[in-house]
Amino acid sequence: MNWTKLGKIFDPGDYILVAGPGQYAQSPQVLVLADRARVYFSTRTRDVMGKYLSHISFADFDLTFRRVKTIAKSTVIPLGGLGCFDEHGIFPMNVVRHGEDLFAYTTGWNRKVSVSADTAIGLAYTRDGGMTFEKVGTGPILAASVHEPFLIADASVAIFEGVFHMWYIYGLRWLDNCPEGESQRVYKIAHAISSDGVSWTRESMPIIPDRLNPDECQALPSVIEYNGTYHMYFCYREATGFRNDRTRGYRIGYAYSTDLKTWNRDDAQAGIDLSDSGWDSEMMCYPHVFYCGGEVFMLYNGNEFGRHGFGIARLSR
Amino acid sequence: MFQWTKLGQVFEPAKGGGAPWMEEYAQAPSVVVFDRFIRVYFSSRRRPDERGQYVSRLGFIDLSRDDLFRIAGVSREPILPLGERGTFDEFGTYPASVIKMDDDFRVYYAGFTRCESVPFNAAIGVAVSRDDGTTFGKVGPGPVLPYSPDEPFVLGSPKVRCFNGVWYLWYCSGSKWVFNDGKPQPVYKIRMARSADGLHWTKHGEDLLENVLESDECQASADVFSLHGKYHMLFSYRYNLGYRIAGRGYRIGYAYSDDLYHWTRDDSQAGISTSPTGWDSESVSYAHVFRLNSRVLMLYQGNEIGRRGFGMAQLESVDGETVIV
Repeated sequence: MNWTKLGKIFDPGDYILVAGPGQYAQSPQVLVLADRARVYFSTRTRDVMGKYLSHISFADFDLTFRRVKTIAKSTVIPLGGLGCFDEHGIFPMNVVRHGEDLFAYTTGWNRKVSVSADTAIGLAYTRDGGMTFEKVGTGPILAASVHEPFLIADASVAIFEGVFHMWYIYGLRWLDNCPEGESQRVYKIAHAISSDGVSWTRESMPIIPDRLNPDECQALPSVIEYNGTYHMYFCYREATGFRNDRTRGYRIGYAYSTDLKTWNRDDAQAGIDLSDSGWDSEMMCYPHVFYCGGEVFMLYNGNEFGRHGFGIARLSR
Repeated sequence: MFQWTKLGQVFEPAKGGGAPWMEEYAQAPSVVVFDRFIRVYFSSRRRPDERGQYVSRLGFIDLSRDDLFRIAGVSREPILPLGERGTFDEFGTYPASVIKMDDDFRVYYAGFTRCESVPFNAAIGVAVSRDDGTTFGKVGPGPVLPYSPDEPFVLGSPKVRCFNGVWYLWYCSGSKWVFNDGKPQPVYKIRMARSADGLHWTKHGEDLLENVLESDECQASADVFSLHGKYHMLFSYRYNLGYRIAGRGYRIGYAYSDDLYHWTRDDSQAGISTSPTGWDSESVSYAHVFRLNSRVLMLYQGNEIGRRGFGMAQLESVDGETVIV
């Protein structure tokens, strides 16, 4: 795989988003429409305690991603109520087209006491073509289960040969005695299938081999079929020290499969890596691969987990 | 109409007879009958920490079958470990329902975790015993009954039963949190799920009982048993707010069903209520019904949601007819 970086295409500092003045535009994920490409992302506000709340917003691009046509003018999907799984943030949201329907898979965040947060995956539908979304309920569709104890997140859904596939992550453990001074999480990519996109059967096991060590954190899997092979992009990092140490932060990982069961990890073939300088020179994360106008694109975040926006790359064919 | 005769208080932690760690509370009794004794599993606690927070743990006392008011054994330590950091049962295991199927012991319990915007959340886990019900190990680090779109939080108060080879789980499901003097209180209702193996559950997805007190009535601890050709449910219900005030705390309610799915509530038939004085004068709750020889017995907890421990009652008649077991 060989990618051409087209540069950063959205800086939240250039806009007044619905949630407030822009900071962070994380985990960009596309919905390709007839005349535009809508890119959902998560932006952040601070609550009265000064803690972050993530909100979904979007920007509409022309189909070549050169120009922003408009941004979301109203709340795309509200945060959950008191005690709900998505009370303290929705990040990210993956929108999938199935016939006439659009399914939105959210990751909801809720704060805890002995650890910083837990997450679960929710489902929402739209009645207005993806401008706003209504949740199917106040609870999640995929939450902690017997072999997946916490941090169910980052759903990425694709439909291949009539079967819904979800790649997502779940937490294995919280690490104590971290240099950060609070527990840090370890999470891995997993897989579930469904016939309707609503009821899911999970395998409850990591599917991507570690490259760094057993505490490697893997996030945001994104899968496309291209040239008869399935390609997964994701990001991975060390479990600690990843916020400030460039050598321990998120990088783009890659795996391929011919049967959607066995994945061969081969980051060397990813075809995209840090830039020598600039907005994606220290970190790359939250890759989202998709087709648009016959081309294959990758949206992704750069330094500081997307504090200053997202960029795009195009697959050279 | 049930007619129960109260036999008296069985166990009160403050009065001794238990293990040193059982300092306060003896909640949600659940019985397994052994040859020479009955084992009563329940949740107890050490005194609260400096912030006033408790951690509920599972233990048991054995009551001699010759004299059900004589303690013949006790769990020296809690018998179910707490969860690891970040798991659903890191901060408590309460309440619990133990079932013995052939030689397999399983406990279904609610695990507690602590949250920032609300004081806690709960979910239901399963553990199994390899030593005849003396200690238990979890089947996995997470809960067996996940949250779902219409059961968003506070899944608790599990009661497990098998009827005709099918596993049934009655539990409470939180529907909302209500602020009371700045402190959130959950509203929860009784629901059920069904399973072929007790591990993979299909939720029924509806509240089983109508509300009697108020729309925010809290319902929990649905103990279901079969007798005289019908299914009977004894459960606990209370007002959402101010439930520590006498008269608003837990009472034992009653419902009956022919099919386990459709329940007719008629609390006037429960046949057991608070006593004029004593350990169960303000509140009764968490009834657990079991058979012993030819008797139908109930364990239940009294005042202050079981702080004063639990007692026993015997079923004398149903609708005026002598009980036939």
